[in-house]
Amino acid sequence: MGIWDHAVMGFMSVFSGPEAFTLLGISVSVTLVMILIGFLMGITVGATPGLAGPMAMAIALPILISIFGFSQDAFLPVMGFLIGIMKGATLGGSVPAILFNTPGTPDAYMTTLDGYPMAQKGQAKKALKVAHLSSVSGDTFSDVVLVLCAPFLAVLVESYLDLPEKAALLILSLAFIAAVIGGSVGKGLISMGLGLLAAMIATGEDFYPRLTMGSPALAEGFPIATAILGVLILGEVFKSIEDMIRSGIQSAPRPAATVAGDRLSFAEIRRLAPHIGRSSVIGTIIGALPGIGSTLAATLGYTFARARYDNKRSASDPRFGEGAPEGIAATEAANSAVSGANLIPVLSLGIPGNAAAVFLILGMESIGGFNPGPAVFRVPSDGFNPELIMAFGLFTAMFLTNGLNWTIGGVFMRAVGVMARVPKEVLLPVVLLLTLTAIYVQENTMAAMWIAVGFGMLGYIMRRVGMSPLPFVIAFILGGKLEETARQAFAATGGDPFFLFTHPIAAAFMVMSLAVIVFNLRKPSP
Amino acid sequence: MFKHLTGDKWLSLTAVIAALLLIFVWVPLDIDTGLVEKVRRQIRLGDSLGPVTAGVVILLGGILTWMRPSADPQSLSVDNLKWMATLAVTIAVAFIVMRFAGPLITSLFTDTPYRALRATPPWNYIGYIAGGALLVATLISLARRKVSLSAALVGIIASLVFALLYDLPFDDLQLPPNGDV
Repeated sequence: MGIWDHAVMGFMSVFSGPEAFTLLGISVSVTLVMILIGFLMGITVGATPGLAGPMAMAIALPILISIFGFSQDAFLPVMGFLIGIMKGATLGGSVPAILFNTPGTPDAYMTTLDGYPMAQKGQAKKALKVAHLSSVSGDTFSDVVLVLCAPFLAVLVESYLDLPEKAALLILSLAFIAAVIGGSVGKGLISMGLGLLAAMIATGEDFYPRLTMGSPALAEGFPIATAILGVLILGEVFKSIEDMIRSGIQSAPRPAATVAGDRLSFAEIRRLAPHIGRSSVIGTIIGALPGIGSTLAATLGYTFARARYDNKRSASDPRFGEGAPEGIAATEAANSAVSGANLIPVLSLGIPGNAAAVFLILGMESIGGFNPGPAVFRVPSDGFNPELIMAFGLFTAMFLTNGLNWTIGGVFMRAVGVMARVPKEVLLPVVLLLTLTAIYVQENTMAAMWIAVGFGMLGYIMRRVGMSPLPFVIAFILGGKLEETARQAFAATGGDPFFLFTHPIAAAFMVMSLAVIVFNLRKPSP
Repeated sequence: MFKHLTGDKWLSLTAVIAALLLIFVWVPLDIDTGLVEKVRRQIRLGDSLGPVTAGVVILLGGILTWMRPSADPQSLSVDNLKWMATLAVTIAVAFIVMRFAGPLITSLFTDTPYRALRATPPWNYIGYIAGGALLVATLISLARRKVSLSAALVGIIASLVFALLYDLPFDDLQLPPNGDV
């Protein structure tokens, strides 16, 4: 079977999976239903300040696994749902940013700068339409780049990288993530080192589970989902509740204006197009790099657009920050373009680049049968590669979500403005209970809840000392893979202790790892 | 001596000490194989190499944090530690209630042991709803700085909804603490 046959089978698998119901005699698959529900939930979650896409993905994953189990039939419904949340949340984040001056997600902060002034001028509906158009355009562009680049990158990796190079590439990815996240190289490295350490506990090749100090509680190691949910979700919940206690509860925001206003004319769309295009490219490039999130993409997109806009602005046009639709367009296109491109390192290398990608990988690993990495895109000379079919199924799910985004996304996002009124002090404890319940349901022991709380405390401390938990999480996920690849590379090179430096490409990756750390060290400290 | 140390310097010191303890105490005491080992005349990487690498990364991070501290360093304050203690106590009490409320109340109303009833409504909900409601209500009350009936109601409703969400559609799933009893 060739690549085209795999693509067709992947496309069909989304439509022909287990049936949810029939509509006018046409069978509707569970995957389609899950994509729709995930997308609508994503917009709702994004529009709720205090919740974010990764948080909803984390909470949903154990529930989805409970519903669909671990079979291959579960893959597309579960992943379709998670992708729907990821994409929907980015769009939804702009709603409270425009209507209430409160970003629903961190990457929508820049949207408040022009969105809220537009809403105050009675142009809320127009601002939401600009946000929708830009977000969907950026997202679609990013998905096209993903489909074109991920297989190509994977084939390159498979063709040119042997075990030492693969080990060096993992080291480069980790070094990059540690160096660029959070603004402090030192703290990034500490976070990464802790993640590697956590991955080492109770693993190894010896009969004795290492680093367990003889404790039966540690002998099984840390359940990966429990630890990640603890650090990423519980840590954030603990910090946010304390922030509310210290600074007092903000009263529910009042809308600046009704969701009404001018239409978005074709001439205006043409004027926005260059900003959307430029930010889409920026967001896609940022998204493809591991460790750099959508917030930076939004900031860069906005900053570039402002410089260009100021040069061309006529006297009657509002400045950036005073209600310029171009500001919304630049921000929303950039942060949405991250969501497709962040799957490039996930699918082609098995390396998660941000929190949303972490939960996508976690979903893939939980279900099994799909190991993200270059082997996914291998076209066998005989028979078929089920992982390649699943990858094309994922691509189809992404484009279907975009289709929903283009058609019903705009209408739905204008209906969820009310979510900004959900009190955060009620929402966060409920999220805590739901997360703990989801962990228990998966692990079936209260010890797992204690472990999650322990990792939550670690996540809380990290946030308080200004250390990003993301290098910890990504190192935890990649630690075992790095050690295994290094073992294989060491054996394959006949026990060469310098295998990372004696192969040219591996040596280049190691030099780049060092360079990225040194370069970021030389930047002025924040 | 340590009064002039900023938050980042404290973090750096902690990381360096922890890394040295890991490399020179924990790893040698708790892992039998070295960095490399010889098995059937073949040299392969030992189980110590990974943890030692993690320790070296933490050590390097600590040293770099010392050399390049943030201009606006953040640190754990006494208030943060008090919050952690409050949180730990709240969660611990909620978990204890969750674990023991079901067996306790069951023993008051029936002779059947709880273990036999742990999949039978309403008995299987008692611990989860009691502990979950306590957790949610306490945290809402802490955030609002007042105890209110509405906080308790939110806790009860949220835990009841989650209990039904998991228990009604899935026969094979167990609510906390029913897998432990």
